[in-house]
Amino acid sequence: MNAILHAQQLTKHYPGSIALDHVDFIANAGESIAIIGPSGSGKTTLLHCLAGILRPDAGTITLSTPTAPLRLDTLGDAALSRLRREEFGFVFQQGMLLPELTAVENVALALMLNGTDRATSESRAAEWLGALGLAGMEQRRLGELSGGQVQRVAIARAQVTGARVVFADEPTGALDSATSNEVLDVLLRSVAANGRTLLVVTHDPNVAARCQRVVELRDGRIVADSGSAVAAPAQPAPATTSFKGAFNV
Amino acid sequence: MSSLSMALRLTPYLARSSGSSLRETGLRDAGLPILAFGTVTALLLTVAGGSQVFWSWSDDIAGTYQALAVVAMVLLVIPLLTLGASAARLAARRRDDRLASLRLLGANSATVVWMTVIESTVLAAVGAVAGAGLYACMAPFLGLIQFRGQAIGSHAWLSVPSILGCILAVCVLAAASAALGLRKVVVTPLGVRTRQTADGAHWVRGLIAAVVVVIGVVAMGMLSSFGAFIVIIAVMGGCFGLALLALNLMGPWILKLRASSQLKRAKKPEHLLAARTVLESPKESWRQVGGVAMTSFVGVFVGVGMAVADTMGGSAGDETALLVRDINTGVMITLLGSFLMVACSAGVNQAAAVLDRASTLVALDRVGMPRKLMVAARVKAVMSPLFLVAGVSAAAAAVLVLPLTGAVLLTQPVVFLTIGGVFAAGFLLVRLAVAAGTAQIGQVLARPERYASMGS
Repeated sequence: MNAILHAQQLTKHYPGSIALDHVDFIANAGESIAIIGPSGSGKTTLLHCLAGILRPDAGTITLSTPTAPLRLDTLGDAALSRLRREEFGFVFQQGMLLPELTAVENVALALMLNGTDRATSESRAAEWLGALGLAGMEQRRLGELSGGQVQRVAIARAQVTGARVVFADEPTGALDSATSNEVLDVLLRSVAANGRTLLVVTHDPNVAARCQRVVELRDGRIVADSGSAVAAPAQPAPATTSFKGAFNV
Repeated sequence: MSSLSMALRLTPYLARSSGSSLRETGLRDAGLPILAFGTVTALLLTVAGGSQVFWSWSDDIAGTYQALAVVAMVLLVIPLLTLGASAARLAARRRDDRLASLRLLGANSATVVWMTVIESTVLAAVGAVAGAGLYACMAPFLGLIQFRGQAIGSHAWLSVPSILGCILAVCVLAAASAALGLRKVVVTPLGVRTRQTADGAHWVRGLIAAVVVVIGVVAMGMLSSFGAFIVIIAVMGGCFGLALLALNLMGPWILKLRASSQLKRAKKPEHLLAARTVLESPKESWRQVGGVAMTSFVGVFVGVGMAVADTMGGSAGDETALLVRDINTGVMITLLGSFLMVACSAGVNQAAAVLDRASTLVALDRVGMPRKLMVAARVKAVMSPLFLVAGVSAAAAAVLVLPLTGAVLLTQPVVFLTIGGVFAAGFLLVRLAVAAGTAQIGQVLARPERYASMGS
């Protein structure tokens, strides 16, 4: 498999503690990887370093691109912001969308930030929302959507730009179990259908079980890695949605 | 133990440093409300000091001066209430983690509200004392202002009990408006959030406002038939009140119309965000910039009216000429005060709004939204309504005194240049205040771990 993100000897300190202790990690293109571990194990710090949100104290992070490998740890803030807009997508626990915008505007905003004109952005955003089961809800404000629907909007926002890597931090942490299954199903199927790489930080063993690979951290070190070679394909949840596999947007 | 006594015991703990440096003590966050309350107090004392001399007169025309002084004070007190509510929101927001922790420990809602009101009042008190100091520095210059042909002189100095009374009044108003403002803020054991309520602006407001304007225009058209100068002044005052009422009714509706139009035309992300911010709550947007509506209206209405009166003044006698000149002086002071007040309110409002949305801003930063775009959207969300409000209000005043506007434009163009200059200075003040408020975005993004709802 092709490595898309490669971290070597990643180290990150916080006052009085070490969050990452010489971590080596490879994410392959098209993989879905769950990062698990107890609170304070460094899993979110690893996710943030890999996504260019946090700068490691030591170590390297390399992103494979069609032209040449890109060293994230050497980029400036503006370049990292641009990278996050163009190459990465994010799904947070609470959605973290703008409540004053409609669903379609929230998704389209990601494209507009990259310079796409508004009409095209909203058209593509509407396609994504439709594919994720939100057809007819494009003009609704977030307050008019359920928690699961808001997370679908966030999933659409994360992928509408063509991001090659999607980072998700407890994406189902604020949802009940049934809705959680639906959202996870949508997330896994959509990234798989579009050939994205997915990195999910989670406390939920059910979420981890449905990813191809599980990486466990403890005290800033990787203590277990199921490895991509032995990983099973993404397991769809029991039929809880009317999804028909139309994610090739 | 009552909620108040518990709040009194707990509040000092909240004021303690959470970090090792002065920057983390909260002093930096408190700076904006203190500055705002300081400016307001200095303005109130300046107006009170400047008008103190009116109350020592007892002749026929003294009543007119006294009435105008009261109007000026009212024009300043209304934005003060808005400012107090904004400062309370900011106080609750900048302490959100601690207030939520107290709720988790069992403090009831009333205790937390009392604590926030106490903190806002303390900030107001600190600001008011600083404002009194500023007034003391300005008083010698204030004494040079002339009314009825004579410098105010020592009358500009208020007595110590009057100054203390003003400080106390600012604190009481701050506490009252903080308590009212906190109705929109919910402090739960899980955090602090601002109540989101549907906040429309119906077209009926526009209709009522139009009727009010028509009544005003008719009354102004009959002005010459009223005879006595004092009656004419009274009718003009009544029309002024009606126009302010119309502006307040119409304001949110006009902002909504404009923002809807901007939303349709928005091509850039910041334009989309700015339009949606206004549409989210046209009334809130209006509360921020509404003070400028009054200012703009007063500027044009009185500017034109007094220019005409000044021309007639020679024939009406020295007393009238002096009154006209003094009204102009008073209006200029009130204009300046009103702009300062709006600037303070806009700055504090923006700081509170940034903290309201801190976690979303952190998330947007993480998905790659440039910081300058976040700032640009907020600036546009304030300045665009401001320009609209100032333009419409000035136009409304010009229409109300339409025949006179044309005459003044031809005979005394300097009047319009002066008004334009005051507006430009006012816009600059508000823009600077918004910049101070949005600077909070940088502070939020510098400490994302405090605001982001993330895992380990």
